[in-house]
Amino acid sequence: MSAFIDNKTSSWTEPEKFLFRLFALYFFVQALPLDAHFFSQLFSLAQHNLYYNDIFQLTHYSPKFFAGADSLANWGLVLLIALIGAGVWSFIDRSSKEYTKLYYWIRVIVRYRLALGIIAYGFIKFFPIQSPWPSLSNLNTNYGDFNRWKLFSLSLGIVPNYQSFLGLVEIITGLLLLFRKTATIGAFIIVIFTGNVFMSNLAYEGGEYVYSLYLISFALFLLVFDLQRIIRLLILQKATSPNGFKPALTLKWQRYTRLTLKSLIIFFFVIVYGFKTQSGLKKGLTLYPNTKGLPGAAGLYNVATFRINSTKIPYSKTDPIRWQDVIFEKWNTISIKSNRPVILDTSNTTLISTDDQERLYEQQGSAGRHYYSYNLDTITHTLRLQNRNKNYKNESWSLHYESLAGKGFILSGLNQNKDSVYAVLNKIDKKYLVKEAAKLGRRRGLTL
Amino acid sequence: MSKIETIQLEPTISTNSYHVQPAGLVEEKKLALPLWREYQRILFRVAFLFFISLSIPNSVEWYRQLIALDWTSLHYRDLYDIARFGSGINFFGNTIFGNPLLGYANWVITLGISIAGGLVWTFIVKKRGTERKEYNTLYYWLRVVVRYRAGIGIIGFGFTKLLPTQLPYPSLGILNTNFGDLTAQKIYWLSVGIVPWYEIFAGVVEVMAGALLFFRRTTTLGAILLFGALADIVYVNFAYDGGVHVYSSYFVLLAAFLLVNDIPDIYRLLVQERYTVPLNYYPAFNRPWQKYARLTLKSATIFLFLVVLFYLQVVNFLYDPYKQPAVAGVKNLRGNYAVTEFKINNQSIPYSPLDTLRWQEATFENWSTLTFRVNKPTPLDLSNGGGDPQRDVNRTFEVSGVAGGQRVFHYYADEISKMLYLEDKYKAVPDRRNITAGAGGDGGTEINLNSPDNTQRKNLRRTNNPSRQQESWIPQAALANVGDEVNKIAPLAMTTRRIREYAKAPKNEERNRMILNYETTDGNRVILTGINEHKDSIYVVLDRINRNYSLKPSSLQAGKY
Repeated sequence: MSAFIDNKTSSWTEPEKFLFRLFALYFFVQALPLDAHFFSQLFSLAQHNLYYNDIFQLTHYSPKFFAGADSLANWGLVLLIALIGAGVWSFIDRSSKEYTKLYYWIRVIVRYRLALGIIAYGFIKFFPIQSPWPSLSNLNTNYGDFNRWKLFSLSLGIVPNYQSFLGLVEIITGLLLLFRKTATIGAFIIVIFTGNVFMSNLAYEGGEYVYSLYLISFALFLLVFDLQRIIRLLILQKATSPNGFKPALTLKWQRYTRLTLKSLIIFFFVIVYGFKTQSGLKKGLTLYPNTKGLPGAAGLYNVATFRINSTKIPYSKTDPIRWQDVIFEKWNTISIKSNRPVILDTSNTTLISTDDQERLYEQQGSAGRHYYSYNLDTITHTLRLQNRNKNYKNESWSLHYESLAGKGFILSGLNQNKDSVYAVLNKIDKKYLVKEAAKLGRRRGLTL
Repeated sequence: MSKIETIQLEPTISTNSYHVQPAGLVEEKKLALPLWREYQRILFRVAFLFFISLSIPNSVEWYRQLIALDWTSLHYRDLYDIARFGSGINFFGNTIFGNPLLGYANWVITLGISIAGGLVWTFIVKKRGTERKEYNTLYYWLRVVVRYRAGIGIIGFGFTKLLPTQLPYPSLGILNTNFGDLTAQKIYWLSVGIVPWYEIFAGVVEVMAGALLFFRRTTTLGAILLFGALADIVYVNFAYDGGVHVYSSYFVLLAAFLLVNDIPDIYRLLVQERYTVPLNYYPAFNRPWQKYARLTLKSATIFLFLVVLFYLQVVNFLYDPYKQPAVAGVKNLRGNYAVTEFKINNQSIPYSPLDTLRWQEATFENWSTLTFRVNKPTPLDLSNGGGDPQRDVNRTFEVSGVAGGQRVFHYYADEISKMLYLEDKYKAVPDRRNITAGAGGDGGTEINLNSPDNTQRKNLRRTNNPSRQQESWIPQAALANVGDEVNKIAPLAMTTRRIREYAKAPKNEERNRMILNYETTDGNRVILTGINEHKDSIYVVLDRINRNYSLKPSSLQAGKY
C-alpha cells in the first residue's frame, strides 16, 4: 500500500489499485445510506416536531441486509458486493494509473460519516442522557440483581460530570475529523477511545459492539493514510514528507458548493442537534417516562400490613407473595419488591422514544423488583397498573389508593391472579450512602 | 525546542505535482542540533530540578523497607512498593498556608523550589563564566530518568489489573447490598471488578505503556498511551472520589513531559503538512563498560519489573488476592442464608425490616468472613479498602464503602469444637496503609494520617474503651485447634513479608468481637449460639437460600478457597 502513503502521482501497482477499488467500494457502501428504511426515516422527520433522537437515529445508520440485531454478517455482504464491484471495475478501467484524487474523496465521505456518528454519541453524553442518574427503584435493588450492562450504565449514571467529559472528548474528536489537516489526529483518538468503548461493549455485553467496531473500522481506514508517515517520524525517527495532495477546487461553484455542504452539515448535525439534545434533556426526553406520577407520592415505602384474600401475611423476605417494600417514582411507575422471581428483560440498546411506554430503561437488566406503569384516576382514586417487563405483558390490574396524610398510602384491589390485595404503606426516610458520601466526602466518618 | 527554524530542507509542494527529497539524501547530511536559547536553558534547569525531585522517593519508610527486603522470599507487594513511591520536595510540609490544594500542594512547593534553584544555577554559571551552550546530554539523561520512573510506576499498577485483583469481583455480601448503599468510589471499583477480562485488557494497556517507555524508539507511543489512559483515570478519580487523583495525575505529568519533544514534530507533519526532520540526541556509548553497564541495568529493570513481578502477581492472584482475604472459610458453611429464627437473651424476635436488633440475612463468604445485616445505623469505613495488609482481618474491601446495615466479621474457626471467633472488620481508626508511599503517592486518607483531629480521636478511644480490649480472647485450647493463620496459605505464597506482618500484629486491638458455636449437618440449616458484639447471648437459625443473581459470574476467579 505504499502508494497510499507516498502520494506518488506516478502509477500505482496492480495490487495497489485493486486493493484501493475494493476498499473504496466497501467504505462507500458502508458509509452512504442506500436503503429504503433510512429514507423513510428521513422523510418522516417532516411529519412531527424534530427531536434530537431523530437526528441521532439518522447518524446511527449502517447498512442492514439481515433482519434482527446488527451483526457482522452485514459487513460480510458489503465486502462481497465490494469484491464483485472491484472485479468489474478492474475489468472496465484499465487506463487509470492511480486514484489519488478518488482516494481523497472517499476519505472525505468516510471522515464525515465517522464524524457524525461520533458527535451524535458525544452530545447525548455531554448532556447526560445516555446513562441517567439511577432511579429510586434502582438505588433500592441489590447489586447482584442487575446484569453487567445495567451496572455499567448505572455506574456511569452517578457521575454526570464524567459523562459530560467523555461526551466532550467525542465532540471535539468528531470536529477534528471535519478538517483535512486534523483528521488523522481525530482518527487516532477514535481508535483509542472507541476501541475502549468496543471492549466495554464486549465485556459488559452491551448492545453496541458491532456499531462501535463499525466506527473503529472507519477510523482505521483514515489512519492508514498517515500511518507509515507516523511510524517513520516517531518510531524510526527519520525525516518524513507530509501528504502532498490537496484537492484543487479552482472553480467558483466548486468552492461555494463545498462551503455550503460543509456549513449545512455542521449546522444540522452539530448546532441544531446540540441544541435539540439540550432542550430534549430539559423537557424530559430521557430514558425515563415523562408522565407525572401520583402527586407527592415519590419515595420508598415499608409495607407494614399485607393481606391477600383477607389473610394477613407477616413480614417475610422469603415469601413469594408478600410485598417487602414499594417505591413510587416521580413519574408514573411503581415498583414492588417481593421474593417473586423476575424474568429479566435483557434488551440493552439505547432507545430514547417519544412514547413513554417504550422507555423501559428503569427495568431493563434489573431483577429484584416488579415494575408497573400506571394510569392515574384522581377522581376514583385508582391506579391502573401495567407490568413494564415484556415477559409479563399480560399483567395488568387496578389498585385503589387512599392517602394517609403524607405518611403513606393504603392500596387495595385485585392483582393479576384476581386475588384481593390489601397493603398499608408507610413512608421511609431513607438516606443513601452514594449521596451522603458525595455531600460530606469520604474523609470523615459517617454513621448510616 | 526550536529546531524547526533551522531546517532548510523543505521540498516544494504544489497542488498537483509533488517532489519528495530522496530519504537517503537527508540522512546522509549530519544535521546540526539546534542551538539552545537563553530562555530554554533556564527552563531546562528548572525542569531538571523539578522532574528529578519528582523521580526520587520522598519517604524514609520507602528506603527502610527496601533495605529490609528479603530478596529470597518476595511478595508481589515488595516490588509494587518499590514501584509506587511518592516524590517531590516535602521538607516544608505538604500544604501551602495550611491548604493541601487537593493534594497538589507538594507539586507547587517542588516547582517553587525548582524555579529558585534554576535561577540560582543560572546565576552561578553566569558568574563563573561556565555556562553551557546546550544541555543535550543532560536532557537525554533526564528523559531516561523520567521514562524509567513512569514505566516502572505504571507497570506496578498495571499488573494488579492484568492479574485482576486491584478491582476485585464483588463478595456475596456486596452482591446482596442495595446499589444506593455504596459509595461512588465503591461503585466504580466494582463496575470494573465485575468484568475481570476487561480489567485484564486495561492492565495490558498499562503494562504495555510502561514497557514501551523502556525503549527510545517506542517512548513516544508509550507516552501517548500513558497520557490517554491516565488522564481518564484522573477524571475518574475526581468524579467518583477515588482518592488517587494526585498519583494518577503524576503519570499524566510525566507523560506530558516526555511528549514535549514530539508534539511540534507531529503538528508540523500532520497539521502544517510540512517536511519534518526529527532531531533526537542520543549520546554514544563507545566504551565497553558503558555498553555493558547500560545493557545490564536495562535488562535488570526489565527482568525485575516485567518478569519477576509478573510471576509474583500470578502467585498473588492464585493464592493471596490483594484486597480479598486469603484464608479459606469453613467449607460447609459457605453461602447465603435467611434468618429463620432469632433470639437475643432468650427473647425471640420475629422478622421485621424495622427492627434494630434482629439479623435480617447472613452470608458466609468463600473466605473466612461472616456478614449479616441489621437495621441499625453503624459507623462506616469509607476508605477505599485497598492498601497492603497481609492479615485477612485488615483486608477490608468487602466492608469499606458499604452501608445498608451490613456488618462484616472476620473469623478464626475451631472446626473441632465447632466454634467461630469473630472480629469486626470495621475499625474506628484504620491502620495506616501504603506506608512507603509518602506524599503524593497514594498514602491513605486523612482519617489515618496524623491530623490533630485524628490524634485526638485516637487518644479518646484509647482512654475510653478498655472494655473492647481483650487480652487473649481466644482460649489457649481453642487456639491449638484454630491454628496459626499465618500458615494457612499455599506454600508458594508464603513470604517473609507475611510472616513479619503477622508477627507484628497488635495484641490489644480495639474491635467488636463475637464468640459463636455453629451446628450444622449439611450446611442447609446452621444454628449459631453464643455471645454477640454487645455481650448479649444470641441464638440464630439460618436456612440456606439459593440466590439467582442476574449478574453473571466471571470465568476468572481470584484466590483458592
